[in-house]
Amino acid sequence: MPFFLPGDKKLGVSTGRRQYDLPLNKSAGAGFLVLLIALMTFLGVMALAGSFALSSLAYHWTSGLENKMTIEIPAERPNNSLRGQDDIKKLARQVETHLRAQNFIRDVKVLGQSDVMALLSPWLGEDTAAVTDMPLPGLVSVDFNTMNDELFAEMRADLEKIVPNIVLDRHESWLGDILKLTGALQFATLLISLMIAATTVIAIAGAVKSRIAIHLKDVELLHLMGASDRYISRQFQRHALILALQGASAGTLAGACVLGVIALVTGDTAQSLLPEFRLDMMHIFTLAALPALACLIAAMTAKITVLRELSLMP
Amino acid sequence: MIKFEHVGLRYGVGPEVLSDISFILEPGSFHFLSGPSGAGKTSLMNLMYLGRKPTRGLISMFEQNINDLERAKLARIRRRIGVVFQEFRLLPHLSSFDNVALSLRILGRPEREIRNNVNELLEWVGLGDYVHALPETLSGGQQQRVAIARAVIGRPKLLLADEPTGNLDDEIGLRLMNLFDQLHRMGTTIVIATHSQHMMEKFNHPRMILEAGSLRIEAPNNWVQQNIAEVF
Repeated sequence: MPFFLPGDKKLGVSTGRRQYDLPLNKSAGAGFLVLLIALMTFLGVMALAGSFALSSLAYHWTSGLENKMTIEIPAERPNNSLRGQDDIKKLARQVETHLRAQNFIRDVKVLGQSDVMALLSPWLGEDTAAVTDMPLPGLVSVDFNTMNDELFAEMRADLEKIVPNIVLDRHESWLGDILKLTGALQFATLLISLMIAATTVIAIAGAVKSRIAIHLKDVELLHLMGASDRYISRQFQRHALILALQGASAGTLAGACVLGVIALVTGDTAQSLLPEFRLDMMHIFTLAALPALACLIAAMTAKITVLRELSLMP
Repeated sequence: MIKFEHVGLRYGVGPEVLSDISFILEPGSFHFLSGPSGAGKTSLMNLMYLGRKPTRGLISMFEQNINDLERAKLARIRRRIGVVFQEFRLLPHLSSFDNVALSLRILGRPEREIRNNVNELLEWVGLGDYVHALPETLSGGQQQRVAIARAVIGRPKLLLADEPTGNLDDEIGLRLMNLFDQLHRMGTTIVIATHSQHMMEKFNHPRMILEAGSLRIEAPNNWVQQNIAEVF
């Protein structure tokens, strides 16, 4: 029976494999740093995916309403008397006829009472009988081929000749608010991403500093033997790179799993108001690049930290 | 090779441990550095291997004033110096092979050359069977031999050794002194800090004697005659 079994560790004997000059791979706390980088990358994936979702949401809302306008023929006349439904229909037809004659109009659609009721149903319920006597405005949906402020003012003047208190809604006001909101949220995700990156940089710099402190005598020895600052910093860079690669890969994988679950859960429900949560290839490539970015940040942080610490040596 | 001009060194706000040290070591010279404990031998060695900057005075190494040199050039000078530290300073997680190979790796030598030279030198210093041993398993003498091998493997222009044979038996000590002598013949400038009168008498080289922070250089009695004889 052999004295040593294959799995036995021979005490005091090196493995014969090329080692780090500094025993960085055996440093305590490496697991913590991997975990931290994994967490930060996970949060980064979430923030980035959130930003993509907001961007897609904004696109979804704006693309459907570009070059569109809703015309409202109020149920009330300027003198506060109410218009009858027939009167409103008649005015709507006149508006339609006028608009169809314009070359900048692509399509005009007068919304019938059923369409108006469908729009109101989320607020008033499906029971149409309760609202049949309610004075409802006439609505005309208009698609433009092209539109500018001058043309719009001209069109408004022409339409006011038909209906003096006509309301033209290019959806700019609420669309502007929505875009402001999504813009603010995207800015917030950008800030969060920057904070995540800053936290990662601080954590890596702290870890590198503590490793230099732990191995100060060995670092000094390399320095005294004539190792260039780059030679020494490369060891820390390599170490940080390996830890970052491990952490960032795990974080990105976890993030991808969570996004997959979100896409699965929201896939069927998010139909109309919210777009379906789906990442295109560009988004996927960007998310996949996160580990590389984390590695780059880790390596650069390690390099800069080590060079700064070495500059204190003679 | 090395020129010290009115060099002084103090640690923090304490008294000067070296004061007004001036000397010139010519290329290819061999000196012993001796003096009582606490005289400043290690501090002087420290200045010579650029582990510290002097608090006053000028130091020139390899014809360059080190006070004005940028970091990259200082590193290049350090690569031309081999140092045997008193406490060996081996990297504990590296094998004898990797500790010795470190000097060559820093010099950027190819791995093939490193493998051949390191194995050969370790064999030569009697550590052929300990190539993969970690320092913790080696005796003091064996560690010292690894430290010496690490210092000389890159064929330095200047070799500084602090008590290099202190832990060695006579036979291996003599063998390593012969190695230093051989390097000296090949043109390496050598400074060996030692307490050993026996060694200084056996190897007849000038002595740098440090006492209370001041330095004087003495040539042994027969050194001048020997060197004159060599010249003629």
